[in-house]
Amino acid sequence: MIYRLALVTLALAAVLGDQAGAEYRFPMPEFESGYERPQMEAPPPKLTSPVVDVALLAGLMALTAFAVLKLRSRNWVLTLMVVSLFYFGFYRKGCVCPVGATQNVFNILIGDGAPVPLLISIFFLLPLIFALYFGRVFCAAVCPLGAIQEACAVQPVQIPRTAENVLGMFAYAYLGLAMLGLYTGTGFLICRYDPFVGFFRLGGSFNMLMAGGVLLVIGIFIARPYCRFLCPYGVLLRWASIFSRRHASVTPAECIQCRLCETSCPYNAINLPTPAVQSEPRRAGARRLGWMLAAMPLVIAAAGLAGVLAHPLLSRLHPVILLAERIAAEQRGDFGDLTIESEAFHASQQSPAELYAQADAVRRRFRAASAAFGVFLGLAFWGRMVRLSVIRKSPDYEIDRGACLSCGRCFAYCPVEKPNDVAA
Amino acid sequence: MLRPEKKAKRFTAYDAGWWAAVGVATVSGLFSLSVATLLIVNYLQIQAINPLDNPEMLELRRQLAQAPEADERLVQEIRAMDLLARKAFFTSQRHLNMGAYLLLGGVVVMVIAWRIAARCSPKVPQPAELPPPEASYWLTRARARELLSFSGALWVLAALAAAYFTRLDYPVPEDRPAGEPPETTVVAERAYPDWETMQQNWPSFRGPGGYGVGIHTNTPVDWDLASGRNIRWTAEIPLPGTNSPVLWGNRLYVSGADAASREIYCFDTESGEMLWRRAAPPLAGTPAEAPKVLKETGYAAPTMAVQEDRAFAIFANGDLVCVDADGDVKWGRNLGVPDNHYGHSSSLLAFRNLLFVQYDQRSNGKLSALDIESGREVWTVPRATISWASPAYVQTAFGPQLVLVSSKDVRAYDPMIGRELWQVECLSGEVATGPAYANGMFYVASEYSDATAIRINRDGDTLVPEIVWQWYEALPDVASPLAVGNHLYIATSRGEIVCLDAETSEVAWFEEYDEGFYSSPIFMGDKIYAIDKQGSGYVFRPGDSYELLGEPKLGQETVATPAFTDGRIYIRTKEQLVCVENPHDSGN
Repeated sequence: MIYRLALVTLALAAVLGDQAGAEYRFPMPEFESGYERPQMEAPPPKLTSPVVDVALLAGLMALTAFAVLKLRSRNWVLTLMVVSLFYFGFYRKGCVCPVGATQNVFNILIGDGAPVPLLISIFFLLPLIFALYFGRVFCAAVCPLGAIQEACAVQPVQIPRTAENVLGMFAYAYLGLAMLGLYTGTGFLICRYDPFVGFFRLGGSFNMLMAGGVLLVIGIFIARPYCRFLCPYGVLLRWASIFSRRHASVTPAECIQCRLCETSCPYNAINLPTPAVQSEPRRAGARRLGWMLAAMPLVIAAAGLAGVLAHPLLSRLHPVILLAERIAAEQRGDFGDLTIESEAFHASQQSPAELYAQADAVRRRFRAASAAFGVFLGLAFWGRMVRLSVIRKSPDYEIDRGACLSCGRCFAYCPVEKPNDVAA
Repeated sequence: MLRPEKKAKRFTAYDAGWWAAVGVATVSGLFSLSVATLLIVNYLQIQAINPLDNPEMLELRRQLAQAPEADERLVQEIRAMDLLARKAFFTSQRHLNMGAYLLLGGVVVMVIAWRIAARCSPKVPQPAELPPPEASYWLTRARARELLSFSGALWVLAALAAAYFTRLDYPVPEDRPAGEPPETTVVAERAYPDWETMQQNWPSFRGPGGYGVGIHTNTPVDWDLASGRNIRWTAEIPLPGTNSPVLWGNRLYVSGADAASREIYCFDTESGEMLWRRAAPPLAGTPAEAPKVLKETGYAAPTMAVQEDRAFAIFANGDLVCVDADGDVKWGRNLGVPDNHYGHSSSLLAFRNLLFVQYDQRSNGKLSALDIESGREVWTVPRATISWASPAYVQTAFGPQLVLVSSKDVRAYDPMIGRELWQVECLSGEVATGPAYANGMFYVASEYSDATAIRINRDGDTLVPEIVWQWYEALPDVASPLAVGNHLYIATSRGEIVCLDAETSEVAWFEEYDEGFYSSPIFMGDKIYAIDKQGSGYVFRPGDSYELLGEPKLGQETVATPAFTDGRIYIRTKEQLVCVENPHDSGN
């Protein structure tokens, strides 16, 4: 307990110590009387050593893996989570984080190819490597986005597994959109629409703060909605975690099928044992699977076509398209005032025709990227359908390695092990 | 939050903890809610108020700017108000910041208290109450497959709906291969005629620049078609049209059209011989049926434009055709059938490498600049309001301006890139009259609105239009106003010719005739020509008083505006093309 308190106190001190030096912006008064403006003195930049960040990331994930796999202690997981929340959340203000780093790394492959700093690469890769060995320990306690949600998940309930399957597809869509944003030069959508970074920075756009607030309120009952249904990095961690070498288990020994853990996981990450009797003849299930496999090209084609058709809407994510529409509307006289963007455009040497041509080039790029986005989503849907059609016999209650966030909630419910300290 | 089960009647420490935690969670929750509400309200207030846009402050600054000498009292007042605005801004910022900390604190306390309450009342699993796994396992998977299929179909439907309802609302450049960089300027492959050369010719409606001013002083003031006095030649035009003649060198161009066909005619200015007639070819997008137009407008109302060996014609169905001096079609494109209840009538204007097309419609109107060599779009800007007026190209003190009138406003554009330079909302009704320009002032006038004089000022990099005066007693319907020197001349459809002081709008003189004027008055060197609908001309000197120089007669319905060159006038009547020449110039 003492150790856990000490850790939290250290993290809190780091956050409070960082609140000096905030800067407000207000237009400078206009002087025409010879008044000499004093030289602005900006405070020196306060840099945190990347080594500290990487060391903390690795250390916290290692500790989490130890807490989950060896100690089987949810309280330790919670403690580490609080530390991560204060450090990576409030102290580092949500940046750098592996979720956003995904974009930097993929930007090399499909974006503008901007080089990625080593720190970012490490932040992207380290959680995946840990997931390959120990499961999603990064999600368990180190991710600040997960931590703030976990902190709010005080009365979690299970949602139906059917709904869990469908809602989980949004994460694939978000990942696809993030890639679309990179390919088309729209920007880093994951960072742009990060719902929690505003809380970490104690300020942000009103809409994103509201979105984050709504997610946190929902998260009181439906734990970690962003992690489960939206997080694009979670998709990658899910894939890595499926192949994890060692993963948290509900029971440390043999499952006695007491069913005590059945409702313990709010993430529906505990697979029920496969009943001995099937609901339909084996032949019917095999035929369905065969149809699904045969339908793959059709699903992909339909999804790709849907993507192409939706590309005008998707292309409105791009600032150039928005600006072109705004300028066109202004020239039609639809608006009486200018936005910051349109004012800057009017002050530039670019002509509307050039802007429209530029927007059209962006739109064409979106058309190709949207087709790929549709294919990706089609594959994701198809893959999940196949997964739901393939029967893997499991006699016991087992962890769903992809979905499990290694939060340790289920440990206390298993009577096989020595009772541990109970957490909510 | 679950309450502790009432198995034990004794009030335990867990019960006390639960109650205390619930109390703290409730209070901190309410506190957080209140703070969050206040923060939102504060935020919305800040959004609505821009301290620098305070009307009082702006008014004080305006007063200070207009004051001939620095007014120390005003300066102090502005400083005090500025200080107040800054104090208010930073106070608001502090409130927001403090509120954020309070909210964070409140939420942290609430979450901790809620967790303590949950720990004091652990939820005990009840396996006995759960349905047997066999009952739900297969059903859950089947339902998941169904729901997944359904949601997948729903996503595809959403994509289809997005495709159906989403239209990117900006002008899409045409014929540009993917990846090709936009053109900003077109490299000149030939030397374009300079202004002096253009003035020697009559390249567009209302002459060079399209604002009714020519340079020749030896144009005839007297002619009579019936007797043939001063008539050099006449020629028949096969198809009807209300467009005016344009000419370059010894070639004169007009167009004619009916519902079935569209043609361009080229005449020899010396003999009146028709050198060739060219049917406009069908183009991609040419509608099978001609659009409905008002009979008076017809299918060939816009005047052609010409530049050296290129002539351009546009018709009521949106077909735009470029021909060379031999009548060979160089390029053509259909701009889309105009959504125009009277029929398209805005004339073309060519300058340097660009052909300007004013395509004002009820919806999707636009102004395009096309490369005269290829017809390729150089730039296009949308136009919001319909009109039947024609553009003018004016060299002002602030650079060249392409000035367009719509049924709502006057707008000036940078001719090279299409950037809007200024605009004034001063018109209403249905406007067919173009702008006039003289001495740095633009003039517009149309029936059912006002005659307006607009002076353009510069404020930094911005051109700021200023309405100098407005006048509404006699306004034109079809004939465009004409500005010459210190006067503005207006010829109305009721037969009035009004001369206003260009600076003050004071009426200098006023003449009234039996027939109205559709043909726009033109200033040629030292005299003004106005021709009424019955072909009676009035030639008078510009100035404070009405000095009539001649009353030529055509005796035929005339709505087109004449073309003028050295010693000659070319007039299109409803029936024929007429060349008028001074007697001393007709020796050849």
